[in-house]
Amino acid sequence: MKNNINMMNKIVCFSFFLLIFFSCKHHENEYHSITDKIEAESKNYQGTSISSEAHIGDLKTIEITEGEHTFLIPERKSQIKSYACTECHTKPLAQMQSKDFKKAHWDIKLDHANENTMNCVTCHNPDNMDHLKSLTGNTIDFNHSYNLCNQCHTKQFEDWKGGAHGKRIGGWAPPRASMTCVNCHNPHKPHFESRWPARFNTQKVKERE
Amino acid sequence: MSNNNKKWFSLNLGKKEHVSSSSCSCGKTSGGCGGTSKAHDMTDDEFAEAAIKASIGEERTKDGFEQVFDVKMDRRTAFKKLTASLLIGAGAVSTSCNVISGDESKEKAQIDWEEQFKGNYKLMTDEERQATVDRLVRSYQLRTGKTINMSSKNAEEDVLFGYAFNISKCQGYMDCVNACVEENNQDRNSEMQYIRIHEMKDGKGFNFNEADDNYYHEVPAEGHFYMGTQCFHCDNPPCVEVCPVQATWREDDGLVVVDYDWCVGCRYCMAACPYDGRRFNWSKPEVPEEAINKNQHYLGNRMRKKGVMEKCTFCVQRSRAGKNPACVEACPTGARIFGNLLDPNSTIRWVLENKKVFRLKEDLGTEPKFWYFMD
Ligand code: SF4
Repeated sequence: MKNNINMMNKIVCFSFFLLIFFSCKHHENEYHSITDKIEAESKNYQGTSISSEAHIGDLKTIEITEGEHTFLIPERKSQIKSYACTECHTKPLAQMQSKDFKKAHWDIKLDHANENTMNCVTCHNPDNMDHLKSLTGNTIDFNHSYNLCNQCHTKQFEDWKGGAHGKRIGGWAPPRASMTCVNCHNPHKPHFESRWPARFNTQKVKERE
Repeated sequence: MSNNNKKWFSLNLGKKEHVSSSSCSCGKTSGGCGGTSKAHDMTDDEFAEAAIKASIGEERTKDGFEQVFDVKMDRRTAFKKLTASLLIGAGAVSTSCNVISGDESKEKAQIDWEEQFKGNYKLMTDEERQATVDRLVRSYQLRTGKTINMSSKNAEEDVLFGYAFNISKCQGYMDCVNACVEENNQDRNSEMQYIRIHEMKDGKGFNFNEADDNYYHEVPAEGHFYMGTQCFHCDNPPCVEVCPVQATWREDDGLVVVDYDWCVGCRYCMAACPYDGRRFNWSKPEVPEEAINKNQHYLGNRMRKKGVMEKCTFCVQRSRAGKNPACVEACPTGARIFGNLLDPNSTIRWVLENKKVFRLKEDLGTEPKFWYFMD
């Protein structure tokens, strides 16, 4: 009798074991969720033959490294029409702001934060017009103007570095090239304007009548 | 491509390797058989007789029912052969072997014939895929005099496409919709669009019943937010499951695609999709010639016909070449992020790992590869 119970126990244990073994057995390429799959399949990621290089084209870019991210952003200085600023700004600003001089930059109206926070010299250096300056007075190159923005917009900066904020140039494949802040936001008026949608579907209206 | 491993039935008009006596065996793919080939002395009746014999052979002596059900073959082959015999009478052959009609119309007929009886793209070898693409390009050239560029590029190893959509950034401009329509040669008549941008009331959550996807006023509208839907390229796609003819499937890089030439238009997939991602061509799709995007892919934006299903393919013609889909490129706000989920350094991976992402109807287990997130 005792032997029999022992035997039964063994069988139950064994079948239980079998059940566990088979119920958790997955076929190859089968995962509980897509995130598991992504994690498993990207373990031995070796890169692909697809490249974005051709799609970036002739765009002049510079490579930047911020934290653990290294990527390309468009070169800026050659895109600013009136650069270098010192070609006009030959004298200190105070001397140029007189009636004898023609008004320049009349079209720029600062619409960024409020007057308490920002004016021209928050970012521009009146003593060194060819460069920008940080809040503490350090020099910032026009090509790296994102360093100016990230003094306040820290969250956006984090997202931009990772790729959650901003827009890619070229394609999805490496090398990564991304627009920098000023490619989408006018620094003097950084918000997006409201406007009309690009499309209105007249057929949908008919269908839903 | 040798004859014996073909997955579809073809007549091989005018090809040398075709030994079965009958139709023109002069060896030219197009054009009439020159010289004194015997075939030309045939009367039309004789010719039809010979052509039928060539295509269905000994089954000829049986009646139609027996031909289909008595012979050891699967149903598809049976129907193919039956249709083939009907078509022969109808004239595909008579055009292609008629001495009076020109080289081009013969070539056209030949192409039509081969296209009519080609197999499912999913099952084709690479050569067969290339061949059908070549035929489609040539056919377009013969019909319109214009050259298109069509690719049959397969999925790349170590690529799994994924998409992220930033709800906080979308302003409802619909630039993506426009770009998509133009890129993918969508029917301008029915104003088909793969992408829908839903205008939702703040504080009401994702209430699709009350959302408007066809607004026309200045955007973003006060008290509203915007989010886009399109095909989510589920990793476990229910639409694929229900297709009775396997005209739609999931590619290795995760794209869910449709073979427009294999689709029978039953719309099961449309009913099965929980996300309203599929679009059906109720009428013949019309795209003005000058607006046609000539950079095409067999599984993507090539011209469709009436009665077939289509949908977003993440712009397979672009994405497999390394570009972003047209919607991603067109979006001025950067709300759309696309990339390779298997690349640990890709921006899409960063978004998935660092933002609070979610998907629609996650509990269905469809595993869409389209995530939403907010700033
Ligand atoms: S409509 Fe076409 S793709 Fe969809 S289930 Fe029917 S045959 Fe398949």
